Amino acid sequence: MAKVRVLGPKDRFDAALTAVQDFGQLELAEAPVHAGIERAQLTPRTQRRRAQLARVLADVEDSLRLLSANGSRPAAPHASVGDFAHWARLARRASRDAQRLRTREAALGEERALITRYRDFLSAVLPAVRKVAGSPRLTSHAVVVPREARPTVDALAGALRDQLGAEFTMTTHELAGGDLAILLVLPREFSDKLDARLAEARVPEVPLPAAYRGMPLEAAVPKMLARLVEIPAELEACAAERRAVAGRRGPDLRRARSAIEDWLAAARAEEQTATTRHAFTIEGWLPQRSVEAFTRRITATVGPAVLVETVAREDWGEDDAPVVLSNPRLFRPFEKLIALLPLPRYGTIDPTPFVAVFFPLIFGMMLGDVGYGLLLAGLALVVHARAKPGSLLRTAAEIAGPCAAFAVIFGVLYGEYFGDLGVRLLGVHPIIFDREKAVFAALAAAVGLGVVHVVLGLVLGAITSFRREPKHALGSGVSAVMVLLVVAALLAAFKVLPDRLFTPAVIALLVAFPVLVFAEGMIAPIELLATLGNVLSYARIMAIGTASVMLAVVANQMVGAIGSTVVGLIFALLFHLVNFAIGLFSPAIHALRLHYVEFFGKFYSPGGRPYQPFGHRVEPPVPVSTRKPS
Amino acid sequence: MNMMWIVISAAAVLSVAALATAWAQSKIGTAGAAALAEKPELAGTIIVLVAIPETMVILGFIVAVLIILRAGGG
Repeated sequence: MAKVRVLGPKDRFDAALTAVQDFGQLELAEAPVHAGIERAQLTPRTQRRRAQLARVLADVEDSLRLLSANGSRPAAPHASVGDFAHWARLARRASRDAQRLRTREAALGEERALITRYRDFLSAVLPAVRKVAGSPRLTSHAVVVPREARPTVDALAGALRDQLGAEFTMTTHELAGGDLAILLVLPREFSDKLDARLAEARVPEVPLPAAYRGMPLEAAVPKMLARLVEIPAELEACAAERRAVAGRRGPDLRRARSAIEDWLAAARAEEQTATTRHAFTIEGWLPQRSVEAFTRRITATVGPAVLVETVAREDWGEDDAPVVLSNPRLFRPFEKLIALLPLPRYGTIDPTPFVAVFFPLIFGMMLGDVGYGLLLAGLALVVHARAKPGSLLRTAAEIAGPCAAFAVIFGVLYGEYFGDLGVRLLGVHPIIFDREKAVFAALAAAVGLGVVHVVLGLVLGAITSFRREPKHALGSGVSAVMVLLVVAALLAAFKVLPDRLFTPAVIALLVAFPVLVFAEGMIAPIELLATLGNVLSYARIMAIGTASVMLAVVANQMVGAIGSTVVGLIFALLFHLVNFAIGLFSPAIHALRLHYVEFFGKFYSPGGRPYQPFGHRVEPPVPVSTRKPS
Repeated sequence: MNMMWIVISAAAVLSVAALATAWAQSKIGTAGAAALAEKPELAGTIIVLVAIPETMVILGFIVAVLIILRAGGG
């Protein structure tokens, strides 16, 4: 990052700020104020307009949300005062229409839900209700008894029957959720008394949609049942109208949103600048490689009276600078894996390139099957073709691609094609080792990779802290060497390496130990043990890989083992499908964990502030490394 | 050694390790889900915390495999 300062005469301020916004790569910093230089203040008129536009923006966003027309964010047009007035009217009208449609849809949805809930009950009691309507002596009440009060219903029915005689009848129907809908039929003279008793016991009536309240049940029930047929068409009509409104007003609303957001961003930016009576100053951060293009653009757009200067490195601290991860296109999807953690501090190492290499490698080493690898590649291609650029699914597909490639490579090395199917059907044999049998070889390969990864982490840790904490850097370096010495000593002890190397390795360890204690303090021996534990943690690569191949072998054995060949084949395919699903999830989580805990723990230093350049908000966003600032 | 004892030992190692992992993950997972509801930006840290106890069952698995292979059960 570089810190730059734009200086110029006050009458060129608006043009300079617009040019900075159009360039879109400068993150504004508060320009320093001291004697004669003041923080820029918005005029009362601008402040009023800001408040108005904030309200218009709220209306616009509300309308777009209600109309489901959020869509992309087009580049903002250069807006005039007339445009803002037009958009304010448009937002008001669109918001009103959208609210009306949503309210209507919500009311229809509630009506349908209510009728659906009581449909079976209403259908069941309709004959009784009609009978009651034809009798001047009888009346009916439909009530709902909550689930917890159900045990008391029978006792209550008995008491009412004793009191009201044979004319009293009760029809019950269980509702979804356990509540009970009840139709009570009783002589009319007892109606008031029952009403009072029900109110006293807080037993509510069956709730009817607003349009049918107060209507006799025998009239309301057939109408409500008929409504169930009409409501879907009315809902569809509402949705069609909403789509039509969205189609008619959506593009204008989205343009308005972009332009208003730009205007408000510019107003906020103005408050971060500083002015004197005759001049202005704008300060901010931008990627070092963009400084030249920025200077050219400002000078060309605003004129030679405006000066762009780079603030000397000594005049700003690392903690002030924002952080942006900027990687080649191939590595960029892996930035999403880093984004799950807080950003690294400014001036430390961006781990994305290492993750882009080791994540697929570790994933492939665990999955290690040509068949599953090709399936994953196919899945990644389909998702990549269907997902929108910049979406999470697209990124996942871009990460899955290299993972699939490594799974195929390791599959060839292990001789695995859907487990042992390659060996059984094609006579293919493993090139390095058979994971099903050579457990120790797989364990050695996994731990070997662990040594490489952890030592790399320690080396990166030494490089990261070399400038700030040289003593800690020494500690990291010595730890890396000691891990290698421990491995060498063990290999020599087990005669994998010549055994004459054992004594020099142990002597070197004894010499390195006090240096480590000097660099890292008395905690160093424990940290070294933890580091060796980190290396052993890579054994999970072998464990998960072995589990995966065993499941695949079991799946293959199902053909012929369970009933007919066809049944066995179906079971085998299902088992392979389950194994494939596990094979995607488990290696991804464990590869991630090996990075976050074992690898990053050695050098990653979180605490970076994200880079938020001042510009036009466009979606999908354009990555910093591909922006063309010309 | 009696094959039965080899298998029982391997199973015991794996089951104790699996139970310990499950217990630890249940506690961490519950707390993690609650934390995520309030601070979604902690997703990475929570994944790490939930994944940490898995080392136990993986090492248990490896010890079980070693018991079987070393004791001649493989």
